[in-house]
Amino acid sequence: MEESVLKRTPAKKSAPKSAEKSSKHEDAEDEAVAVAEPEEQAEDKSATNGHAAPAKAPKRRATAEKMAEGQRDISVSEFFAKNRHLLGFDNPRKALLTTVKEAVDNSLDACEEAGILPEIWVHIEVTGDNRYKAGIQDNGPGIVKAQIPNIFGKLLYGSKFHRLRMSRGQQGIGISAAGMYGVLTTGRPVKIVSRHDPKKPAHYFELQIDTKKNKPEILNGKGEGEDLPKPGAEYEKFVEKRGLEWVETPHGTRVTIELEAKYQRGRGSVDDYLEQTAIANPHVTIHYKDPDGKEYHYARAVDVLPPEPKEILPHPYGIELGNLVTMLQSTKATTLSQFLTSSFSRVSSSKAGDVCEAAKLSTRANPGRIGRNDSENLYKALQNAKIPPPSTDCVCPIGVQKLLQGLHHVVPAEFYVAETRPPSVYRGNPFLIECALAYGGSSQAVKISFEALNEMLNETDARTLRQFLINGFSGIGGDAADKILTEAGFGTRASPGKLKKEEIVKLHEAMRNVNLEEGQTMNVMRFANRVPLQFQPGACAITQMIMNTNWRAYGLTQSRGGLPSGPVTVMVHVASVWVPFTSESKEAVASYPEIQKEIRLGLQAVGRKLSMFVRKRLKVRQEGERRNVFLRYLGEVATAVNEINGRDRNKLYDALLKVAKRKTEVADKKIDESGKFVDEEEADFGENVLIVKHDEPLPAATGGTVEGSTSSASSAKKPKKKKS
Amino acid sequence: MAKKPASSKSGGAPVNVSVKDKKTLTSLRRVADDVATCADSGRAPHLDVPSRSLSNVRFNKTKRFLEMGGGTNRRELFNLSQAKSYMQTLLISSGCKRLIEQGKTTSLRGLYYMLKHTIEGTKEETFEDQEDSDSVIEDVEVTLDSLREEMHLYASNRGNLVGPITFIDNGDTIDCTRMGSAGYSIPSICEPDVIQFKDCKADFILHVEKDTVWRRFAEDKFWKKHNCIVSHGGGQPPRGVRRLLHRLHNELKLPVYCLLDNDPWGYYIYSVLKQGSINLAFESVRMGIPEAKYIGLRSKDFDRCKLSNSVKINLNDQDIKRAKQIAEYPWFKDKKPWQKEIQTMLGQGFKLEVESLISKDISYVTEEYVPARLQDKDWLD
Repeated sequence: MEESVLKRTPAKKSAPKSAEKSSKHEDAEDEAVAVAEPEEQAEDKSATNGHAAPAKAPKRRATAEKMAEGQRDISVSEFFAKNRHLLGFDNPRKALLTTVKEAVDNSLDACEEAGILPEIWVHIEVTGDNRYKAGIQDNGPGIVKAQIPNIFGKLLYGSKFHRLRMSRGQQGIGISAAGMYGVLTTGRPVKIVSRHDPKKPAHYFELQIDTKKNKPEILNGKGEGEDLPKPGAEYEKFVEKRGLEWVETPHGTRVTIELEAKYQRGRGSVDDYLEQTAIANPHVTIHYKDPDGKEYHYARAVDVLPPEPKEILPHPYGIELGNLVTMLQSTKATTLSQFLTSSFSRVSSSKAGDVCEAAKLSTRANPGRIGRNDSENLYKALQNAKIPPPSTDCVCPIGVQKLLQGLHHVVPAEFYVAETRPPSVYRGNPFLIECALAYGGSSQAVKISFEALNEMLNETDARTLRQFLINGFSGIGGDAADKILTEAGFGTRASPGKLKKEEIVKLHEAMRNVNLEEGQTMNVMRFANRVPLQFQPGACAITQMIMNTNWRAYGLTQSRGGLPSGPVTVMVHVASVWVPFTSESKEAVASYPEIQKEIRLGLQAVGRKLSMFVRKRLKVRQEGERRNVFLRYLGEVATAVNEINGRDRNKLYDALLKVAKRKTEVADKKIDESGKFVDEEEADFGENVLIVKHDEPLPAATGGTVEGSTSSASSAKKPKKKKS
Repeated sequence: MAKKPASSKSGGAPVNVSVKDKKTLTSLRRVADDVATCADSGRAPHLDVPSRSLSNVRFNKTKRFLEMGGGTNRRELFNLSQAKSYMQTLLISSGCKRLIEQGKTTSLRGLYYMLKHTIEGTKEETFEDQEDSDSVIEDVEVTLDSLREEMHLYASNRGNLVGPITFIDNGDTIDCTRMGSAGYSIPSICEPDVIQFKDCKADFILHVEKDTVWRRFAEDKFWKKHNCIVSHGGGQPPRGVRRLLHRLHNELKLPVYCLLDNDPWGYYIYSVLKQGSINLAFESVRMGIPEAKYIGLRSKDFDRCKLSNSVKINLNDQDIKRAKQIAEYPWFKDKKPWQKEIQTMLGQGFKLEVESLISKDISYVTEEYVPARLQDKDWLD
């Protein structure tokens, strides 16, 4: 036995021999035990040889059988419970946002699918140290009793994964993951109230996820849930006891999750998310109550639902060979031609004929009997055939008008432009890019109120004021932050937590006074299927394309490989039946070349319009500045002359002023009494542009006059945002 | 300084205005009237300021100094880049007018503070710093064709002198052999009405570059041994020093020898003393000393005096650039010895300061170096 083993490894003859000796000696005990079973001993030896250990052979720690005991299914829930960052729960602050976001996204999807104008209530309240309760309710269709536990308590359960249709949610992970996170961090169950029939009472569940089995557990009503009592004293008691906040609606769903979280204003906050959601979804009404009890209302600007996105068949270009084979096997079609026309979008029967001919197959062949080689030919023929892009009605753009309105509603600026690209296809999935841009106006930092600043300072976890400014406000870059701090007289390393009242006043004033136009960096808003993307900008195809675009050509300043600077906000919306995200937490769009190309074209389109505006304005402004420079010095000159020769100072000043005005006439032409730019030649800009005169204080900007070629924009109801 | 009016302290009473002052006032008024006329007729006012750059400087070969050409730069009020300096020019003019009328004088810095204020309705200052106003003052000088002292302005004193000469400075008799360790501080304005020469026993003037070297000469009583005046100008000599040297040279017929660093900056100091500066070419006639000689340091001195390596200062890019510029100046261009001097320095790749001689011996420069050069008449012209 031993010999045969040694023969197997002839190259190691000499070395293993000595190894064998020592190992024999070492294993003396084992041998004594294993005398009865020489075969096993030999096996052990062979293992030693195989490893070619020079001196010591490692002890076997476990046998395959033993290991098999530990090998078992990993449930999805367990996997994600351990890898919560994949779903966007990496830190307490993000966890809160992700929870709200998943719930709101689901609500909007449900409302739109059911054809209901969405109305959303969001309430966040503090329940303890680092503990928050997030309640999100919609007026959606409601969910039938039997499905509630699965939808909220089971990962990877949903309606959206298996179809090609434009929607916010995709996988069916989000809300159940949020619930799971809540249960994991606080031990409190997820509370769901849902009503789908106005005649029946709302139903109430308390849920928990069994992470091992990926199964929901219902805690109340002996695993059946309970009905909400009829309005009255009993109802009050019931609601009070369970901490419910059901807003009475004929149909809708409310989910309440208690979780470990951190609430913080500023970039990437719940407030920010809801505001951006309002931009991309002008048909939605949102009521939001923040942890301080402040209420925000984003009223809908449009009373029409966006057109219902159609579910589509896969497009031949997006299919893979293996996929095609499976489809061939499982189809109900009897002929190949029928199979092609019924399983794919945009394949007409004549096109199917062409494809079959190219693949050297009969149109009447039975799809189930197509062999391996033939299906490969068919695949190639499909890829080479000229097939029109998938139907476009399956992706619904927000639309140029609504983009302009939405952006104008939230971002105060002087110039707005939007562009909707024609649909295109990546891997057979139709998608569409929309870009919008707002230019001019003041940054968010300028319009912030003293109280809000105070609160932000209290909440921030930034170590230095500079960091606080850069992270807390969109549009403030390093330069601008430095300017503000210098103006306010702080050192860059001042801590935001320890400011005295007078110091905050100073900071607030500096933020209002400093001209941020120079130091501002472009503010980028990213949307995928109308959902704002707030994290991982660096990994996102949108940000990458914005940085790769040469904005200098459009009149902005931009350092190499960076975001351009200036008072600019750019919004990019990727709409698709399947948005390719880089991770399950849906934070960044993957860089498919087709998507990159469309984004680039979209950005270039808005960029060209921007450059027209910037150049024009620059010219006017230069003239204006010229005049300002002259005006500044005229007084001094007049005084000096008066002192030398005694001429009347004021008369001289007026005379000089006249000359100055004549010298800078160009500035006059386009400057009205208020000193702001009005352009008579707007028609040049085309249809997708909105130019706003705004002189009035900022809050009024939302209701301000809108001048532009977009008549519908100015006549449409302005969304109102009020704080109570 | 122009005539100091006797009645300057008569508290608001009209001061006596000298003929010179009247001339200056007339020029000032002409500038102001011009603005008014332009404004009345709707034209944009402008000033023609004689250009103070190399392109507007001509080397007069017979007189052997720099002369200002007829070139002017137009300074317009309604030109974005010139508006501010136009305003400043008028401001300076009005300031000078005030000084003349009140019969007072002030320093350049004084005028700067007098006129510096925030422009109404802005955060901008009329003058950001003194350099701003100094250069405008020079512009006004050339525009009005009036000297600084005629505008009642003076610069801060720089430069000292020691030697067997007695001045009458503003009425005080000053014996420059008895001025202590610091010597006589040369005033900014050395016109005959301020300084008169009373008695001079010196045979020549030795002008050195900076204070350190000057003190060596003063302490070693070089002036006593060699019967000369030793002066320095603290680097590039100010106008007062140049004017005084000019007067001593012309009125008392004292030859001038210069002991300067062997680097482009030293060469240019010599050039300024000899044929006037490019910037103030209009003053050359009152200041240039075409007969001034350059006795050192020479680029050959490193070998000649057997200096140690450690006193070498490597030329930087700026030095090399400047040296090449100077070699191209017309008044250096035709002088073979000078071309050779500059080429040698560039070839060696290092410069030498006068102070480097101290490394030989503390009094090497006064006891051996300068006497030897003077004895051998070894200098550059």
